[in-house]
Parts: sequence; structure tokens; C-alpha cells
Amino acid sequence: MDDLNLLRDLGRALDREPPATLVRQRSRLAQARPRRRRPGPLVIAAAALATAALVLVPALLRQSGKAPATHRPGTVKAVNLLLVGADGVRGDARADSIVLVHLPADRRRVTVVSLPRDVEAPAACPGATTGGRLSGTIPNRSLTCVTRNVEALTHVRVDHVAILAYAGLVEMVDAVGGVEVMLPRAVDDPASGLKLSAGRHLVRGRPALAYARARHGLGDGSDLDRVKRQQALMAALAKAAREKITNPVTLARLVNAVTSGMVADRALTPAFLKELATSLERTDPATARYKIAPVVPDPRDPARLVLDEKRAEALFRTLR
Amino acid sequence: MTAPPAVPETASDADLIRRSHDDPEAFAALFDRYAPMLYRYVARRLGPDPAEDLVGDTFLAAFGRRDRYDLDRADARPWLFGIVTKLVARHHRDEAARYRALRRTPAGAVHDDPADAVAAAVTAAAVRPRLAGALEALPRRDRDVLLLVAWADLNYAETAEALGIPVGTVRSRLNRARRKVRAALGDTDPTREEA
Repeated sequence: MDDLNLLRDLGRALDREPPATLVRQRSRLAQARPRRRRPGPLVIAAAALATAALVLVPALLRQSGKAPATHRPGTVKAVNLLLVGADGVRGDARADSIVLVHLPADRRRVTVVSLPRDVEAPAACPGATTGGRLSGTIPNRSLTCVTRNVEALTHVRVDHVAILAYAGLVEMVDAVGGVEVMLPRAVDDPASGLKLSAGRHLVRGRPALAYARARHGLGDGSDLDRVKRQQALMAALAKAAREKITNPVTLARLVNAVTSGMVADRALTPAFLKELATSLERTDPATARYKIAPVVPDPRDPARLVLDEKRAEALFRTLR
Repeated sequence: MTAPPAVPETASDADLIRRSHDDPEAFAALFDRYAPMLYRYVARRLGPDPAEDLVGDTFLAAFGRRDRYDLDRADARPWLFGIVTKLVARHHRDEAARYRALRRTPAGAVHDDPADAVAAAVTAAAVRPRLAGALEALPRRDRDVLLLVAWADLNYAETAEALGIPVGTVRSRLNRARRKVRAALGDTDPTREEA
């Protein structure tokens, strides 16, 4: 046998079957694709939204030492913001997580309610492939239909709405230098690209996003479990942002990440945002309540979810 | 998460790359086609641990320079193996350590799969340490040529294309490398046929 064949034999002896995790490398390719630039003006208006809702502005006001404008009780109204986390780098966005942020009139305590995306939607959306669910594509990034459905489901008035593209979330997490997540056990999920040992981890943007989106290897694999993790991530992000924004470089990166990652409705004018920001001076994000809209399997189709009417009503009443 | 693209299996590599200019998803089809092959090649040279990332790096690099791909070349394997060879070179320490380990490992010990071991043991067992030693001692350029031929199954022309060198150079490097491998196997090699 000649030397080349001996070498080939050695090669075969050393062979390894490609592991299933190889597909993770394929998704790196997907992320490398050029992102479509989103329209400009509304994006600016969106800048303050996530930040206002969570952390930045109150902290900024405190930091600058300026006396905030005082608001007499009754002059400020409660505000409900609808935030839609979406896959949205190309073409039509796909709603993946849907969150209602309630800022009460006294602005003391923010309530964040996640609406499970598999909840049956009352209204059909023309042009959207929702399969009758709350999630699904958002044609042309139009949020009218999602908004209408959320209002019909919750009977809560939605004052403003914004899409946060997941790419923006990744950048926000990176801007604050990573967030802490807690894993009850080791996870290796090729579908989301998440591979971490059990315990606490400081993770950067991409693994943080994988943590928020993973359906496999964490918890019970349900969407509800995923929603819990998304809320944990929001809280971790709020906490990290609050600690880190005293650094002007971090602050600039964070604001930039938010502006590039969001598209908001037209009513979120700079004037309104300024007012909103000022009114949030007394809000402490650490006290925010994170809730999940109570749901039960649809009696007609167990693969679907419907709101647990009694308990949902009790929750949503506090937001009206 | 990403649905497989609707790409006909008969499309040539060049077709896929051409389409990927407008529809980046077409490039993912190229990944599906060749990632396992590249993985095996890298895993042989560097071991399974770095192979996964390196395959990803290869496709990212390829995607980044797809504009420069010569669309007259229907088969993208030489192009991809050329990129992978450059990336493997950055891991020369891993590669040297791998051959050193093979040189010391008793034959059969590297197998996970007994069936695999039986098939290969017949010829490879006795000579593996010497082969590994020879690979380790080869200059990188000669080793690149030898392994693209022996392990990546590229022919001379494809190897030349992958490395961006003339076919004559492939021939001379391959001859030199094989001479050294044969010398390392020596006269005590029981399986060697006398010419």
C-alpha cells in the first residue's frame, strides 16, 4: 500500500461526524448579512422610549443634579406603551415578544405585562401570516393590527407603540457590558445557539438574545417559560443599565443602540417624550412589576392559548 | 429558525454564489452543501474542538468575498478549501500538538467507534506514529498540498486553484512531501510495496 493510501486511512481513522451544533455556524452567516437601514425620523423619537420606560432618563436627571419639573397630582396621565420585540432585519418584521408597559399616573411603579405570542388574536390582520395568533409577520412594520388586537384582548388603551428589533437588543446588552443570567442547568441548544453551563453567567448580547429566545434545553420548552426568561433579561438589562450609565461612553452606546433598534409610532413626538421623561423622575425601575397575562389552553384547540378571562380581567383592570 | 432556502439541488455552486448577491439566503445552501466536508477536513487536521468555529469562520470569510468569486468555476470546493487552509495556518500550534499526540498515542486509542477501529487498524495501526511524525515535520506549504490531495480529495488542478499556485508547484511540493513520508515509514514498514 502506498504512502498516500496510508495517509487516507489515517484520515478516515481520525474522522469525526459533524456535530448537530454545526448548524449554529450557519446562523452566524445569517447574522452577517447586510442590514437594511430603517427610516430615520421616527427612530429618533423612539430613542427615549425604552430608556424612558426603564431607566435612563430618571437616572440622568438625578445625575445632572437638576431639579426636575414637579408635577402636581392629577396633571399627569397614566400611559400605556406597547413594545413589540421582532425579528426585523429584513423586509417584514415578525412579532416575537409582545409587552405592555404601564406607567401609572403617579409614575411610581412601572408594570410590565408580557402577552404570550401564541394567544389567539380576535381580529385578523390583512397581509399578516399570524395563523390567528398574536405573533406573526407585521407587514411593512405596521403596528396597527397588533395594537388593535392587544386592545381588543385586554381592553387597555394603547397610547404608544414601538418595535424593538432584536438586533437592537443585542447592541443594548453589549453597550452595558453584558447582563447576568441564571441557568438552573447546563444548556446546549443548537436552534438558538445557546451553550452555557449551569449557574450565573455574565453574557454578551448574542448569548443574551439566545437565552431570551431559546425554546429548547431551558425550562419546560414552552413559550410561557420563554416569556419568563425575556422578562428576566429585561430586568437584568435595566439593572445593568442603571449601574453603568454614569459612564458617558456607555450611555452614548446605549442611546445609540436604542435609536438604531427601534421604530415607533408618530405620536411619540420629541415634546411628548420630554414630558414623559420628566414625569418618570420618580420611577425606580428596581420596583417594576413583571407580569404575564394569564392564559389557558383553548378548549376548542389545545394547541392554542386564550386568556384566562377572570384573572386576566383582574390584571388588566389595574392598567386602565 | 431559518427555513431552508428553496434552492434546487442541481444548482451549481457558481449559481448559488451568483444568486447570493441579491438573495443572501442562497449562500446558506452552499453552507449546507459543504460545511460537513470542511468540518471533517479541519477536524482531521486540528481536532474536533476548533473545527466547528473554523468552519463558521470560513463561510463568513467566503460570504464576505463572494463578489470576487470567479463565476466561471462551477465547483466552489477549491475556493472554500483555499480559505480553510489559510485559517488552519493560524492554528499551527494546535496542529503540531495534534500530530505529537498521535505520535505518542497507542494505535486504536483515538477511536471512539470500535467498527471504525477495526477497519483502519489493519494497515494504519503500525504506521500511525510514523505518519504523524512525518506530517508534523513537513513544512506547512508541503503539508497543505499533501493533505488537500489525500484528505480533501482535490486533484492537482483543484489544489493549485485552492492555494493560488501553478500546477507544477503542486506537483513538486507533493513529490517532496511524499518522499519525506515514505522515508519516515522506512524499510520496516510491513505494508509497503516495493516499487
